[in-house]
Amino acid sequence: MKTFANSNARDFQHAVSVAQQARQDGHAASFVGGGSDLLALVKERILTPDVLVNLKTIKGLDQVRAAGNGVNIGGLITLDTLSRNDVVRRQYTVLAEAAETVATPQIRNVGTLAGNVCQRPWCWYFRNGFPCYKNGGNTCFSFAGENQFHAIFGGGPSYIVHPSDTAVALLALDAKFRLVSPSGERTLSASEFFALPQQNPARENVLANDEALAEVTIPAPRAGTRSTYHKIMDREAWTHAVVSAAIVLEMDKQVCRSARVVLGGVAPIPWRLPKVEQMLAGQRIDETLAATAAEAALEGAKPLAKNAYKIPLTKGVVRRTLLDLAKA
Amino acid sequence: MRQDKNTSVTPLKTLGHPTPRIDALERVTGKATYTNDVQLPGMLYARILRSPHAHARIRRIDASKALALSGVKTVLTHENCQVVFGAGGIAGGQQYNDDIKKITKQRRYVFNNPVRFVGEPVAAVAAVNRHVAEEALRLIQVDYEVLNFVLEPEDALKQGAVAIWPEGNLSLDTRNEAKPMTTRRGDVQEGLQASDLVFEDRYSTAFVHNAQMEPRSCLAHWEGDKLTLYTPSQGISNCRQDTARDLGIPQEKVQIICQYMGGGFGNKNQNQDADLITAMLAKETGAPVKLEYTRKDDFIGVHGRWPTVQYYKVGVTREGLLKAIQLRGYSGMGGYRKNTGAIGGIDIYQCPHIESVIYPVYTNKTVSGNFRGPEYPQGFYGIESMMDDVAYKLKMDPVDFILKNMTRKSRDEVPYTNYSLEECIRRGAEAFEWKKRWRPQPGSDRGPVKRGAGVSFMAFRSALGRSNAVIRLDSKGKYTVFVGVTDIGAGAKTTMAMIAAETLAVPLSRVEVVWGDTDRCPYSVGESGSRTTIQTGYAVIQAAEALKRQISEKGLPAGENVLVGSASPNPTLEGKVRAAFGAHFVEAEVDTELGHVRITKYLAVHDSGRIMNPLAARSQIKGGAIMGIGMALHEDLIYDRRNGQPLTAGFYGDRIMTHRDAPEIEVIFIESDDGYGPYGAKSIGESSKVPAVAAVANAIFNAIGRRMKDLPITRDKILGALA
Repeated sequence: MKTFANSNARDFQHAVSVAQQARQDGHAASFVGGGSDLLALVKERILTPDVLVNLKTIKGLDQVRAAGNGVNIGGLITLDTLSRNDVVRRQYTVLAEAAETVATPQIRNVGTLAGNVCQRPWCWYFRNGFPCYKNGGNTCFSFAGENQFHAIFGGGPSYIVHPSDTAVALLALDAKFRLVSPSGERTLSASEFFALPQQNPARENVLANDEALAEVTIPAPRAGTRSTYHKIMDREAWTHAVVSAAIVLEMDKQVCRSARVVLGGVAPIPWRLPKVEQMLAGQRIDETLAATAAEAALEGAKPLAKNAYKIPLTKGVVRRTLLDLAKA
Repeated sequence: MRQDKNTSVTPLKTLGHPTPRIDALERVTGKATYTNDVQLPGMLYARILRSPHAHARIRRIDASKALALSGVKTVLTHENCQVVFGAGGIAGGQQYNDDIKKITKQRRYVFNNPVRFVGEPVAAVAAVNRHVAEEALRLIQVDYEVLNFVLEPEDALKQGAVAIWPEGNLSLDTRNEAKPMTTRRGDVQEGLQASDLVFEDRYSTAFVHNAQMEPRSCLAHWEGDKLTLYTPSQGISNCRQDTARDLGIPQEKVQIICQYMGGGFGNKNQNQDADLITAMLAKETGAPVKLEYTRKDDFIGVHGRWPTVQYYKVGVTREGLLKAIQLRGYSGMGGYRKNTGAIGGIDIYQCPHIESVIYPVYTNKTVSGNFRGPEYPQGFYGIESMMDDVAYKLKMDPVDFILKNMTRKSRDEVPYTNYSLEECIRRGAEAFEWKKRWRPQPGSDRGPVKRGAGVSFMAFRSALGRSNAVIRLDSKGKYTVFVGVTDIGAGAKTTMAMIAAETLAVPLSRVEVVWGDTDRCPYSVGESGSRTTIQTGYAVIQAAEALKRQISEKGLPAGENVLVGSASPNPTLEGKVRAAFGAHFVEAEVDTELGHVRITKYLAVHDSGRIMNPLAARSQIKGGAIMGIGMALHEDLIYDRRNGQPLTAGFYGDRIMTHRDAPEIEVIFIESDDGYGPYGAKSIGESSKVPAVAAVANAIFNAIGRRMKDLPITRDKILGALA
């Protein structure tokens, strides 16, 4: 592991200015929350920061607070605390369920929401230090290589899948992300926050240099809203989604008024399915509609040599999750 | 006393009762000292630079910048360190043999040129702390001439494949001849011709790592010409012998200490290159040196189970009687041959015509070596899948096929000391409710979630052999047992104490054990081959008997006096074969839409003779079964074919099972007494993994009606087969 300096942040404005100062001095800086992912990257020298800007010393951004009819959730809340929060469990079930599927209890005890959303990909080429797009190179090794777990949507030139469970849930909940940078703050919708590799193959989101995710805001759920997260894992703990689905349904008795359907594990960003959402709106979700929606969900999928199994798998996940949630 | 009929063991006072480990409290309170906990004054830290290439010649190594870094004490490379790593890869995969080491052409050094796999040691650094040592690795400049590489054993034997060794890629045998390992009984061609039906198929197994909890570390310390090595070892006596031989010093000048260890599963047999490198760094620097492996070092830098490709041809009569079995197999040994590369399993069938031809092949993958029943879990997966398939094709219940064709004498010839395989299978089938759970028509559940049942069985070596024990009695009535065992997780220390207490007829609390230190303990056989209880346990009985004779002659010791009993037995079997028997029954549920497999019932029936400590023995069976499920469904060290890089090294990438993945394993022990061994105990540790893999695969076949022929049986393969 490379040696580095630690700098405790007083608040987010302080944090981003420390990062900016470091960069201007020719040093690399990394923000660190729980550090569960960052430390591994530093140990493997995937990241070699000179300065770690410690966000855990910032007070007040580790909880869920009512904001209007919705909630503000501090980016520094641990995944464990988030998954146990009563309001989140009740009103934003999909987020609580997503948070509790992450990694292991040990990681959920330290890992933060912002860290999970901004976590780097778990593509084995990236994590093994191959000079790929994500490591500053200009190749994606998975495209013609071992791509069992890679993207079937939105790929090119990088074919990673976005690793975050909570990101999928937050997009399904239409969350807003409050970003802090040395020049001030901006608020983006979840759909604006994540970025495809064709936009910038080195990154998974639009965070600028020295910019950090401070907080997310989720609007109040409409009456009759229910939601769930279904994650397919190759073992019961400590692994990322092979495929996942975050579904939010606004139900009026048996009829679905509106729906948001987002997939994880299939694309370089959380992958929203607007066509499927339209198909469900105003309809009664039965076996036939769920099967039709599942077919539609996979329209345009482009599997690589070793991940075609994700197509029937994703169909199954969408169909079953829709039916289970509609029946719930 | 000795008899061929099965009799059950008679109850004893200490043995046979569930007994917590005598050192459990130390372990769970953090008091136990593992190798990496040991600190010595002035200790340096070591790190290893590993090859980034699958196959490369080193043109030049320049360590000058590393040596110039403040705090760096020494750098070793192939240029200044030519120690042979004898147990790391010698002709025929034979171990512990000085003669073979002398003649072999394919000698492995601790640092080799060329390097033959990603992860092979290129240089080692000793420095004042870990960070400096790691930093120094980055300053060593290595100029590589990158060579072509080959990853799969069948490819490695093709014309035009790059030669990993000058003699070619088929590993030389103990006579330096490039010949496959061949065994024949009867005439297989004649047998196939005489068969009514002949079936052929191909099965393959993946490289799986031992994945023991404790990664390797080593602390070396020289006092004059005497070397002390703290190292996790499954056999301190063997480790001492190997280390002395490799370093060219007398055995009595080497002390191996292993007090507590976090598992081994074959990854910690013999000595390792880490031991030799640390010893040489300590010698070079004149200071104690500690080497620590990361999990990735441990995954790619030691060894795992050899991957195999198995081609079977099986001839049967219409009535389902085996006439001929032919196996042609290929084992991927990696860049060095650290074990035989055998593929075991054929012998558990009674069959007049057998031929097995196995090619142990060099590849540019990480090295293959010992791992829990070295050649059996992969071989049993092949043969037991094959036979299961034959049974279905004959429209026979697989249990009936097994009962008709299973071994009744070892290799059809030599009688077993006793025989309980049929009882294992019959009792298991009944307790498992086989007839209810097994689908006569595979894949016939309506779905999408389908269930099915599978079975597999085993006979596993339980031979007797040499070991030593010493027991001392003092005037306070304390009995101290000296045995050169280590505790890899099977509870050897507790078992030795229990055997002593039983034989001496004293409470367990009066027995202490001194273990894991070659200077304090006599030679013991080592915690490999499932033989510590059988061999060292037998020596403990004999030492206790010797002590009892002393007591009856001289009376109890008084004052400062002590009495000592010792024994070095080497019992034999009088021309018989001794085996543990068992059968595993698995019910699996396959979600045919999501490709997910869940084990819904698992029953393991074992006859390991007398069960010394049911608490530990049950855990051994459960652990083996769970490990087998992991090999069947999860684990694979995946390589990129274009560059020979391993992609899934470590507990995350290899998808090793977690506690939440482990199903309940039900265990039934049949405790038959064959009159041999310590109170009738037979082997346990390895045998529980042997049939597990095939039983899981066979249950999946019964559930979905598709034969999964390549391990691991992952979601992509299941959905692919069902597409």
